Amino acid sequence: MGQLSAENISVAFAGLKALSSVSLDIRPGQISGLIGPNGAGKTTLVNVLTGFQAPTEGSVTLDGASLGRLKPHQLRRRGIARTFQGGRLFRDLPVIDNLEVTGVGLGMSRRAAVAEAEGMLDWMGIAPLAERLAGTLPYTDERRVAIGRALMGRPAYILLDEPAAGMSAPEAADLSALVHRIAKTLGTGVLIIEHNVGLVLGLCDHIVVLDSGAVIEEGAPAAIRQSEKVRHAYMGTAADMAPTGGEVRA
Amino acid sequence: MTITNAPALAPALTAARKPPRFALARRTVITPVLLSLVILAIAVLTVMTGSKPFNQAMIDVFLRVTLVVGLYIFIGNSGVLSFGHIGFTCLGAYAAAWLTINPMMKKASLPGLPGWLLEARLPYWQSAALAALFAGLVALVFGRVLMRLSGIAASIATFAVLAMINTVYSNWQDVTGATSSVVGIPIVRTLWPYAIVAVIAIFVAWAHAISRSGLALRAARDEPTAAAASGIDIPRERLVAFTISGAVMGLGGALMAHSIGVVTPDTFYLGLTFITLSMLVVGGMSSLSGAVLGVVILSALIQVLRWLEAGVAFGATTFALPKGLQEIALGVIMIVILANRPAGLIGNREITLFRRNRNK
Repeated sequence: MGQLSAENISVAFAGLKALSSVSLDIRPGQISGLIGPNGAGKTTLVNVLTGFQAPTEGSVTLDGASLGRLKPHQLRRRGIARTFQGGRLFRDLPVIDNLEVTGVGLGMSRRAAVAEAEGMLDWMGIAPLAERLAGTLPYTDERRVAIGRALMGRPAYILLDEPAAGMSAPEAADLSALVHRIAKTLGTGVLIIEHNVGLVLGLCDHIVVLDSGAVIEEGAPAAIRQSEKVRHAYMGTAADMAPTGGEVRA
Repeated sequence: MTITNAPALAPALTAARKPPRFALARRTVITPVLLSLVILAIAVLTVMTGSKPFNQAMIDVFLRVTLVVGLYIFIGNSGVLSFGHIGFTCLGAYAAAWLTINPMMKKASLPGLPGWLLEARLPYWQSAALAALFAGLVALVFGRVLMRLSGIAASIATFAVLAMINTVYSNWQDVTGATSSVVGIPIVRTLWPYAIVAVIAIFVAWAHAISRSGLALRAARDEPTAAAASGIDIPRERLVAFTISGAVMGLGGALMAHSIGVVTPDTFYLGLTFITLSMLVVGGMSSLSGAVLGVVILSALIQVLRWLEAGVAFGATTFALPKGLQEIALGVIMIVILANRPAGLIGNREITLFRRNRNK
């Protein structure tokens, strides 16, 4: 069975270790969660997996083969897509063009890219936004469009960097349902970084917890929920880890 | 908004129908058509006046339209400021000179040219086409290295290209005549070839802008990180635009050579770089309409200032601006325009008959 794997990844910035020998697998059709306090190295790991950051040590493999030092656009063409904190939409382009750009980047003709973009917006239930300028969208819609853009070309894997940040509980619940459909209906392997731990616990099949650049715990949501190490890392209580908008399988 | 009513998964997640063929071209072609009509209207009015000085002034305007549109193809779409493109104009101008000067004159003044080039004597339109090809190929070679750079590093590197080309052409005595004027280039005095070349440049720029490469490059200009994450090979798309714009600059250079009949390396250096970049910035760097209208507006200003410098008679007295005030006044006007409209007069819009020109 294929999978995208980070194998013993270490990253150091000017001597400061951002990641220390971190390993993580993402499998098609499964939802993996990556949680941890601010500065734990979550986004750095996503940057390594998508070619935006070269690891100091370790490697990224796809279906067992090393991806070497492929550039971000090459990894995207291999089916590894991502979103960014803050959306990073093409703000001066309409929503449909935001998706079309990715289709074009993946080698489609503009006509084919538009057709797929329309289909994607329909599937996500945001077709009415097609002609809106991306820069004028409210926060929640911006996040959805960013996910739609990343899904163009049906990537095998999608890495979502804090997709629910700033969302209300009902909005986060909608997002959870969408992510669940992406994994279970499209068969895409999902990695989700989220500060909303409750959402991650309710949504994910497998969770990895990072703290200070190292994996401190991993396993099924039930095991993570019981972990003292995780509670300690968050310096919180059980209330912090209560499901919030993530009960898609309740 | 909820997703509870989203339809079930379609087999390929693709809309049942693709947009009709050439729908995008049909929707956007009005912009180059309108800009071309402006060029052709100016040409018709010029011919109707029958004034030779005005004819020459309008030839200069059309040449600048070609050059500024050539700049727009790269700078406007990539967002990378290039100071080197006038180097490609220089290449085009000298290529046209090599291909069209009487072989006897070439043997005397440019003896270092290879035999086949010494013997060549082509019609101006053939030399212009070959000059464009030559400049485009050189842009392709330079671009393969330069397009990996971004921001100010890329801009400085393009300036280095301009300096290199200028240095080579200013010193290669047997091939370029060094700093001496290369004379004997057949002069084309009729306005129409210049108008047609400007229209060709406009349509080339439009075709690139609506192409896959143009869309990808503009996305990369606005959000490079997201563009790379969208599968866009940014250096490659920049190289495509750099090569096409280099060819257009070369075409403009060839026509410049035929407009005055003489070329020197310094004609294609800082002065022309400054004025063409100014026209692009004042018109609106991110807009084809801005590129064309920037030339028309600044050219009109320059012409008025030239007349004022030369002196305007009011009865018995002649009013004349001091020499050199033209450049100062032009600088002040540009600062005022940019202070009020930082994105240029047109911004990033295009002239069109419809309210919105989507998908440019």
